[in-house]
Amino acid sequence: MATELSTNHLLGIKYITKDDIELIFKRAEEFKEVINRPIKKVPSLRDVTIANLFFENSTRTKLSFELAEKRLSADVINFSSSSSSVKKGESLLDTVNNILSMKIDMVVMRHPEPGAHFFLSKHIDASIINAGDGTHEHPTQALLDAYSIQERLGKIKGLKVVIVGDIRHSRVALSNIMCLKKLEAKVAVCGPPTLIPKHIKSLGVDVFYNIKEALEWADVANVLRIQLERQDIKFIPSIREYQQYFGINKDLIQSLDSEVLILHPGPINRGVELSSDVADSDASIILDQVENGVAIRMSVLYLLAAKLKIKA
Amino acid sequence: MRLLLKKLTVLDKNSPHHQEKVSILIENGIITKIGKSIRITKNVKTVEFKNAIASIGWLDIGTQIGEPGYEHRETLETVAAAAARGGFTEIACFPNTKPTIHTKSEVQYIKNNTKESIVNFHPVGAVSKDCLGEEMSDMIDLHHAGAIAFSDGRRSIQDNGMLMRALDYVRSFNGLIINHPHDKSIARNGMVHEGMMSTSLGIPGIADMSESIQVERDLSLRNYTDSKIFVHNISSKDSVQKIRSAKAVEKKNVYSSVPYLNLIFNDSAIEQFDANYKVLPPLRDESDRTSLIEGLKDGTIDCITTNHKPVEIESKHLEFSRSSYGAIGLETCFAAITTHLKKALTVRQIVQSLAYKSREAIGLAIPTINVDAPANITIFDPDQEWTYDKKSIRSKSSNSPFINQTFTGKVLAVVNNKKFQQF
Repeated sequence: MATELSTNHLLGIKYITKDDIELIFKRAEEFKEVINRPIKKVPSLRDVTIANLFFENSTRTKLSFELAEKRLSADVINFSSSSSSVKKGESLLDTVNNILSMKIDMVVMRHPEPGAHFFLSKHIDASIINAGDGTHEHPTQALLDAYSIQERLGKIKGLKVVIVGDIRHSRVALSNIMCLKKLEAKVAVCGPPTLIPKHIKSLGVDVFYNIKEALEWADVANVLRIQLERQDIKFIPSIREYQQYFGINKDLIQSLDSEVLILHPGPINRGVELSSDVADSDASIILDQVENGVAIRMSVLYLLAAKLKIKA
Repeated sequence: MRLLLKKLTVLDKNSPHHQEKVSILIENGIITKIGKSIRITKNVKTVEFKNAIASIGWLDIGTQIGEPGYEHRETLETVAAAAARGGFTEIACFPNTKPTIHTKSEVQYIKNNTKESIVNFHPVGAVSKDCLGEEMSDMIDLHHAGAIAFSDGRRSIQDNGMLMRALDYVRSFNGLIINHPHDKSIARNGMVHEGMMSTSLGIPGIADMSESIQVERDLSLRNYTDSKIFVHNISSKDSVQKIRSAKAVEKKNVYSSVPYLNLIFNDSAIEQFDANYKVLPPLRDESDRTSLIEGLKDGTIDCITTNHKPVEIESKHLEFSRSSYGAIGLETCFAAITTHLKKALTVRQIVQSLAYKSREAIGLAIPTINVDAPANITIFDPDQEWTYDKKSIRSKSSNSPFINQTFTGKVLAVVNNKKFQQF
């Protein structure tokens, strides 16, 4: 197995290899052991300064990254757009360059525009981690999802995973598709046709428009949040109809022939895409995902920081 | 001015000197002698070329000129310099200025301020006031002031009824309406071609149907009004097919163009989120690109355009989705085609499109390289290598995907309006 990543940034799953993913999982396993010790901190990233730049709202991803950084003893600064000069018209490049003048080694960034990290990686020296860029990618979420599936079911290869919900507006869906395909899972998406991109099959996935058929097929269902905030026009007539025809509830789960593992990247619209009794059931690994998120992010930060030292 | 241009191979099917290697003497803007050897030594500027071809000057349709209103992007002077460097002695410029070219004052402003230019400016008047697509502008007035055709330029006309009335209205003076097909309600917030690339990059896509649905509409409205339509800058194979079918029935009165970038690149160019490839119409997939080339070859598409759209760095050098659409193209159109499409298009086909069919489509007189004719000439070498570096750009903006690219094929000089420029 490789001992270092093939890239200096984590811009998306599209830009890393299967070996990279396996290496990230291996380190994550070690870090998971660390964060379950009485003393949860290691000195691996001492002297590394990380800026968390969130140009879009985030609660759990930001907390998870910050916790991962602190567990690794990195120095951390936080910046969010609500308190920034971005709203005053300063460009992304200026904002980031200002921050980098403060000698930052790594940037964890969430941004509403697809490809913003790509743009940045061409113009600044720091190592960049994508914490979500518009409707493009959210690589650490896909890594922690795949890691959680592997942890529970012992493998990824050959598993059937269906991603349910608003695929059109979801960076989580895109990163998950890329990640699961690289790990040789079979992937499908399910949702109303207006929420599924017309050319999604070109990514090598199957499409279901019926939730029961999708769950009958699947070993794992990754259920996405209906992202009303990303829809400037109505792609579905009503939440009520969505919940009735695409929502997952206990009756639906019990009607299936075999068990389906349930994931959700959060935050859940309880009673819309997922009912509480399913979200809180044994079939759900939603809280494992959150714990694994910290381990995966520690792993990514650690491995990219190792590249920084090689570069220096 | 007496100018003697030596060792040029004439490429002008209308000239008796077509395909001959000759010298050309130009006096006071008029070609006075063409021959194997012209011996004049006094009071003459002599330029000797090697492997150079002389064709009639080229015409670009739909150039964005910046001035008035967007002088920070381009002025009449810089766009003329860029056009000349690219071999274009004439441009039919779009009305998306500020104010838009929707009264005779704007037409006169452009005409009066370019009188001394080596490039002929032909303003395209706005179909609607402010190019908003709501109320027709005074098109007869604009026509008398010198507007060569009518268009809302980069703003595609959305209102079917208004386009129908405009097509009908301009028949009184045999006017031409140019529309860029782009249905906004389908394209919405799309930025690139809708396909595998847009799906994998998470960038909202523009379905090819947003173009072809308007092509179909434009052709239907033309049939109904029995007027003339120029479908400007198509990008999809469906559009090519629709125009091909229409032309099979109606040989005249239907014209179309394709931007050179869409002939060269497909949507894989945006894989690295390089905003220099963020253009309208968008770069589509490989089957679209090849069918555009086929369409150009079989005459479905009349001419190639530069789709020249200068954008200041502050609006271009941004994250992909925030970056403005468009690329400058006047200076690189010919060189990029000869470099990237060497196998697909011959020099003759390129010149046919840029110099003859463009003029036929828009109704401009076709010059010729012959004695007693005014000299309107582009001189080029399709095999000469050169590098397009940022410092040398004549346009005021530098939003080009070709910076630092080495091309094979160079414009060497232009002659027009009693002026000569060598590059």
